[in-house]
Amino acid sequence: MTTAPATPADPAAGSSPAPSGERVLEVDDLHVEFRTREGVAKAINGVSFTLDRGETLAILGESGSGKSVTAQAIMGILDTPPGYVTGGKIVFEGRDLLTLPAKERRATRGAGIAMIFQDALSALNPVFPVGWQIAEMFRVHRGLNRKDAEERAIELMERVRIPAARQRAKAYPHQFSGGMRQRIMIAMAIALDPKVLIADEPTTALDVTVQAQIMDLLHELQEDSGMGLILITHDLGVVAGVAHRIAVMYSGRLVETAPVGPLYADPRHPYSIGLLQSVPRLDQKRDETLPAIGGLPPNLLAIPPGCPFSPRCRFVAPECTQGDPPDLVEVGPGRFAACLRLDAVAAQVRAEGGATGAAAPSSPSLGANGRSNDNDGAGRADGSASESEEGRS
Amino acid sequence: MSDDIILRAEDLVKHYPVKTGIIRRTVGHVKAVDGVSFDLHRGETLGVVGESGCGKSTLARLLMRLEEPTSGKVTIDGVDLYSQTGAAMRKLRRDIQIVFQDPYTSLDPRKTVGDIIGEPFDIHPEAAPKGSRRAKVRELLDLVGLNPEHINRYPHQFSGGQRQRIGVARGIALRPKILICDEPVSALDVSVQAQVINLLEHLQRELGLSYLFIAHDLAVVRHISTRVAVMYLGKIVEIGDEVEIYERPTHPYTQALLSAVPVPDPALAGAREQIMLRGDVPSPAAPPSGCRFHTRCFRAHELWLADRTAAPATGTQESAAEIAEEVPPPCRTEVPELILRSDGVGEHASACHFAQARTVVTAA
Repeated sequence: MTTAPATPADPAAGSSPAPSGERVLEVDDLHVEFRTREGVAKAINGVSFTLDRGETLAILGESGSGKSVTAQAIMGILDTPPGYVTGGKIVFEGRDLLTLPAKERRATRGAGIAMIFQDALSALNPVFPVGWQIAEMFRVHRGLNRKDAEERAIELMERVRIPAARQRAKAYPHQFSGGMRQRIMIAMAIALDPKVLIADEPTTALDVTVQAQIMDLLHELQEDSGMGLILITHDLGVVAGVAHRIAVMYSGRLVETAPVGPLYADPRHPYSIGLLQSVPRLDQKRDETLPAIGGLPPNLLAIPPGCPFSPRCRFVAPECTQGDPPDLVEVGPGRFAACLRLDAVAAQVRAEGGATGAAAPSSPSLGANGRSNDNDGAGRADGSASESEEGRS
Repeated sequence: MSDDIILRAEDLVKHYPVKTGIIRRTVGHVKAVDGVSFDLHRGETLGVVGESGCGKSTLARLLMRLEEPTSGKVTIDGVDLYSQTGAAMRKLRRDIQIVFQDPYTSLDPRKTVGDIIGEPFDIHPEAAPKGSRRAKVRELLDLVGLNPEHINRYPHQFSGGQRQRIGVARGIALRPKILICDEPVSALDVSVQAQVINLLEHLQRELGLSYLFIAHDLAVVRHISTRVAVMYLGKIVEIGDEVEIYERPTHPYTQALLSAVPVPDPALAGAREQIMLRGDVPSPAAPPSGCRFHTRCFRAHELWLADRTAAPATGTQESAAEIAEEVPPPCRTEVPELILRSDGVGEHASACHFAQARTVVTAA
């Protein structure tokens, strides 16, 4: 752990008290592509981020943005073929995981970096009791005998607050509720005290009351053990209360990274602004049309030139649609955004009364220059916002 | 019945038998919907929220008459839904249509969009004469924001949001009076959800539809609904205007549900008080006695604790089982009625013996 790479401390960590500044994971310029019959889908196009001990990084994005593929690449569980890591480094404890021999890489899984998945029912083996499955971690990785391993499994089940753990250890996955199954998966993931835990949509399939319990549990376990937590989600609400830093992904790139407070209060990238404005809020009733982001997420087989968000962006200008995608530039302490027109966007948002203020704009965001980025060509789906406007007048 | 009411459900019950053994003996019933009554007014949106297993989808299927109820009555514009047969039933079905949750499984992959949206016209030929059907379908595609040129495409050629638009177009093809939306946006991406919500609102204004909007996302429901019903284990526990439910909830379950919803605002997320419920939802095959929520109710437990400190138990009146439940007696033994109860400002219907308003959603 003392062999952390000699990169300067990430300034983003400075704004929140919990992270200790000790680097546990560094992803540098990661590229992943899927070679399919239809062509090469560029799922990740140069993603870089760092994770400190005790830090919670939320990766936010829609389906197809590459957030889950990033997690799979870090874990080394990408399906190859069709998925290939075509560039970049994943440095964990000073070593690049991508160049490690398979055997050493396997040793980091579970003990170094562990992962929990969205669907606990399909991630658990239906024909073995859950206690046996948790104990397997100790038998295989730690070489414990069956009896000791089962004891440790029961301790873990108590730690993730499964009631009557000793009796329940003999039960099978289908005999548990969704929330309890997610707890069992968390128990398996933390069994070997990993330095990094990746949670891929851990609460998406759960009811809100249970969702709150699970987020609470993850938060508590992290504070106890000081592990770094990567939380992958599409839900802006879930991460607001627990993350230190947020990375917003779009079309296989990070478009904005920022400490959690500033991101929600003052998003800078048009996509982040659009996301925050388009979500209905529980604490306010707006009797107006939601300012939806028009269009569709891009087709990864044919990413448009220039900024990948430009076909859906309401601030688009001619320079956005040419050349290479914009790079992340520093826009504040520990804040980065990848947009060519940051100043113009900020000025316009201020004029409209703020990105998250009550006076959110309801201007239609049609596919701008009419360029349709979806290969089914049904770009007219963009028009709902403007149509609703017409409908009211 | 008031002219204003387009659909009225009265004491609707649906029990599914639980069978076991070789001779399929009935050993119990899953009480999916257990005595639900409400009115849907013309042009309004009634949101129905609740956790999985609370019976909201069964309710949708009952209102569509995809299931026959165990007992109870539904009237649509004064016509009794469950006593209709043959042609009369078919005629009634034109008035009430549904949009399903999953746009990937609810559209036939072997049919073109034109066939899918035009199918209601095959069943109800009186709605559109044969020659004019293609034109009607194009009109519908245009209405839901899709390109009418795409009438010959197949569902797999569309994205999730566009497929949901196809589902909506099929739902409104017969110009129904009521559209039931069963989780219409929960399978969609965040940035596409808003587009579909806007579309539904736009159509409601254009066509004067009444919506029964079933969802588990309380923020979406608040945005779209005029009134909201909260369900727990097959019963409505609280129903009222959107403001009454979100700002002055009186039922502890509604309060817990609202407090658990994460708000996309870190400043508020830290400041909000969150009510953690004990355990999971009990099985609807064996719902708890009295108030069905009493096994998880924080308020009943608080009241019980306060009661005990005020007057120490004599030790003779309560049995061990009663003490183990740690709630006041009425919660355990009496089923609370869904009646108007005070919420501090006015009153709205709530099924709690100890209903009391509590602010859990702080206005931004």
